[in-house]
Amino acid sequence: MNRFVEQLAANDVAELGMPGSLLAGPTAAMAGPTGHGLSFELAAGNNPAEFAQHFIDAKSEKDSLIKIAHGTTTLAFKFREGVMVATDSRATSGNVIASQTVKKVIEINPYLLGTMAGGAADCSFWERVLGMECRLHELRNKKRISVAAASKLLANLVYRYKGMGLSMGTMVAGWDEKGPGLYYVDSDGQRLANDIFSVGSGSTFAYGVLDSHYRYDMDIEEARDVARRAIYHATHRDAYSGGVVRMYLVQRDGWVPYPLEDVGDLYYQYHPEVQLTNRTESPLTVVPA
Amino acid sequence: MLSSITQAPVEAHSHNRWEPYVDNGGTSLAIAGADFVIIAADTRQSDGYSINTRYDPKAFELSNKTVIATTGYAADAKRLVEVMEQKAQSYFHKHERVMSTPAMAQLLSNTLYYKRFFPYYVFPILAGLDSQGKGAVFTYDPVGNMERTVYVACGSASALVQPFLDNQVGFANQRAADPNRLLDRETARKIAIDAFTGATERDIYTGDWLEIFTIDQTGVHREKRELKRD
Amino acid sequence: MDPIEFRLPHTIHRPAASAKHGPVTRTTQPIVTGTSVVAFKYKDGIMMAADCLASYGSLARFRNEKRLMAVGETTLLGVSGDMSDFQHLQHTLEGLLTQEYDMDDGQKLGTKSVYKCISNIMYNRRSKTDPLWNSYVIGGIDNGQKFLGFVDLYGTTYQSTTISTGFGGHLAQPILRRRVEGREDEITEEEAVQILEECMRVLFYRDARSLNKLRRAKVTAQGVEVSEPYALETNWDFAESIVGYGS
Repeated sequence: MNRFVEQLAANDVAELGMPGSLLAGPTAAMAGPTGHGLSFELAAGNNPAEFAQHFIDAKSEKDSLIKIAHGTTTLAFKFREGVMVATDSRATSGNVIASQTVKKVIEINPYLLGTMAGGAADCSFWERVLGMECRLHELRNKKRISVAAASKLLANLVYRYKGMGLSMGTMVAGWDEKGPGLYYVDSDGQRLANDIFSVGSGSTFAYGVLDSHYRYDMDIEEARDVARRAIYHATHRDAYSGGVVRMYLVQRDGWVPYPLEDVGDLYYQYHPEVQLTNRTESPLTVVPA
Repeated sequence: MLSSITQAPVEAHSHNRWEPYVDNGGTSLAIAGADFVIIAADTRQSDGYSINTRYDPKAFELSNKTVIATTGYAADAKRLVEVMEQKAQSYFHKHERVMSTPAMAQLLSNTLYYKRFFPYYVFPILAGLDSQGKGAVFTYDPVGNMERTVYVACGSASALVQPFLDNQVGFANQRAADPNRLLDRETARKIAIDAFTGATERDIYTGDWLEIFTIDQTGVHREKRELKRD
Repeated sequence: MDPIEFRLPHTIHRPAASAKHGPVTRTTQPIVTGTSVVAFKYKDGIMMAADCLASYGSLARFRNEKRLMAVGETTLLGVSGDMSDFQHLQHTLEGLLTQEYDMDDGQKLGTKSVYKCISNIMYNRRSKTDPLWNSYVIGGIDNGQKFLGFVDLYGTTYQSTTISTGFGGHLAQPILRRRVEGREDEITEEEAVQILEECMRVLFYRDARSLNKLRRAKVTAQGVEVSEPYALETNWDFAESIVGYGS
C-alpha cells in the first residue's frame, strides 16, 4: 500500500502541480555512485557547506551536536631500509574515548599505506577512493602508480571539497620505481614531501623524540625503537592519544605490519626511565659526587 | 510591535536558525561469540524529559543474517533503515543471494558517508556472521567511520554500558584473564540483559522494553523482555 | 558557441548565493497557531479532541477553527502548530484523495498509508530545512486494527496508545497514561468521553493558549465522526485556594 502511495506521489501528484518529491520515501535519499563521479546529498539553501559545519564538529573544537570520531598521533619517516610508519589507536568523540582499537594505518594496496588523523571517516573514505584510483591507474598504464602520483591524486580529490569541512591529515607512504616515498597530504589541499612527518594532536611529542633520536642510517630495530618511543611518549602526554602502537615497515616488496604493542605494557618496559624523573631530587640539579 | 506579538509558545529556540536535529535517546549493544552474535536495543523514544512512546523498535533485520540497531535521531534512523532495507532487497533480487554481513557493513559505511555534508544523526551498529561463520560486530560514527569489534555499546547510555562490557566481555586490564576469550551464548545474553537493567537504572533515556536478537547459523532469533518503565 | 563541459570525477555542484535567486527565505517560526491535540485508543476505536482556537501569539485571534479532520473514510487527523502550514498539508491530502477517487479501483487509502504519507512529507520538508511547523496526530482503523500515530516538524514518528501534542504532552499525557494504558480494549465510549473531557478541562485551566470551545472526534468501524463545537462545565472555585507560585 505504501509503495502504491509512493508511486502515486512520484507520478500523478506531480501532475497536479504539487511537488511530488515531497511524498517520496527512501528512494529520494538513495545517493551513491552516479556514472563515474560521486554525488553527495547536500543540505538545501545557499550555502550547504556552512550549514553542515554548523552542526558537525569535524575538528573537535565546538560543542556541536554531531561529534565525529577522531584520529590522533601518527608518524612516518624514511630511513636506510625503507619507510617506517607508526600510529596510536585511540579515537575520541567529544570527551569520550570512542575506541582504543582503531586502525589508523590504512592499507591502500600492497605497496601503499595511508595514515589517519582528523576525521576518521574522511580519511578512510577518501583513501578507499584513492585505492580505487590507484588500481585504475595500474589497469590503464600496466604499471604501479608512484607514491608522488598517488599522494597528488588524494590531494586533488579532497581539494575539490575545500571549505566544506573535511578534516584529514594523512601521510602517504610507499615504494615505487624511485624507491621509498613519503608525502603529507591534508584536507586544505596541502601536499609536502619530506623524510620525517608526524600528524595529530600528539605530533609535537612525537617530533620531540624523532628529532633527538632519528638518524638516516638506522637499522630496522633502531628505527622500530625510535618509532615506538615516539608514539609511546605521545600517548603518555597527549590525552587524545593512546591504546596500542601499530607499526608498519615499507620496503621494496611492499609493506609488512608488526605485532601490536599495548602502551600500558610499554610503560613498564620504559619504567626505569620514568622512575628516574620521578625522584624527588631531579638528577639534573644534583651534582654528582 | 509584530515581533512581540508573535512570540509563540510552541517552541523555544535560543538560536536564530532552526536546527533540523533532535536526540531521541536509546541504547544499543552487540556482543560477538565464536559462532553467534547478540545485538540488543531498548525501545523507548524520548524528546527532552518526555517519553514519546514505550515501544518504538530500534533494531531491525536487514536479512536473515544481519541485524542493524540505531540510536540518536529517530527520524533519520528510520530513514536510514529504510534505505538499507531497500538496498539489501535490491541486492538480493539482482544477485539472487543474500548480501554478506561484511558487505552490508561497508555498504552502511558508504551510505552514511554519502550524507557527509548533511549527516544522519545516528549511531548505528551492525551485527551478523562473517564468511567463516564467526560473530561480527561493526560500529559507526554518524558519518560512516567503521570499525569491526567484538563488543560495543552505543547511544544515550553508551558511557555507562561500554565500561561494563570492557570489564565483563573484554576483560580489559585484567592480567589473569585472556583478553581474547570469547563468551558462550548464555553468558553473553545474561551480560546483555544486565547491561540494560543497569542502563535503565541510571539513564533516563533507556527503558520500557528490551529486544535481543541472537544470530547464528540457523538464522535470527528475537526475544522481547521487560525493562523498568520509570 | 556552446561552452565545453568537462565532467571530472568527484565533482560537486555548489549552489552559489547567486544574484539570480537571491537569498532563500523560509518560515522560521509559527505565526497563527493551534494548541494541544489529545488522543487515545478505546474499545471501539480512537477518540480525539482539540479546541477551536487559532492564536496569533498571545492574541486569541480565530475562535472557530477546525483542527480535527477526516482523511478518507477511516482516518482522523488532528493538528497543532502553524495553521497555514496545516492548510498547505490539507491541500496536498485533498489532491491525493482526489487522485485516489479518480482511480476508482475499489482501493481505499488506509490509515497507515496516510500516516506514512504525512511522515514522508514532514521528514522531506525538514530535510530541506523548510519544515511544516506542526505536530500531527493520525488515528484510525486499518484492516480492523486500531492505529494511533504521531508526526512532528522534525519528521519524528511514533505510535502509542495515548498521544497528546504540545502542552498536552505535559498536562494530559500523565492523566491518559493513568487511565488508559493497558485498558485500551475495555474503555467504553462513555468513559472515553469522560477521560477526554477531564484532559481538555485541565488543559483549559492551565494552558493560556486554549479555549473552552472544543471538538471531539472518534473513529470506529462505522467511520469518522467529528462533533460540533461545545463547551465544558468549568469550576474555578479551586483558584481561591491557590497560594504562592501558582496564584
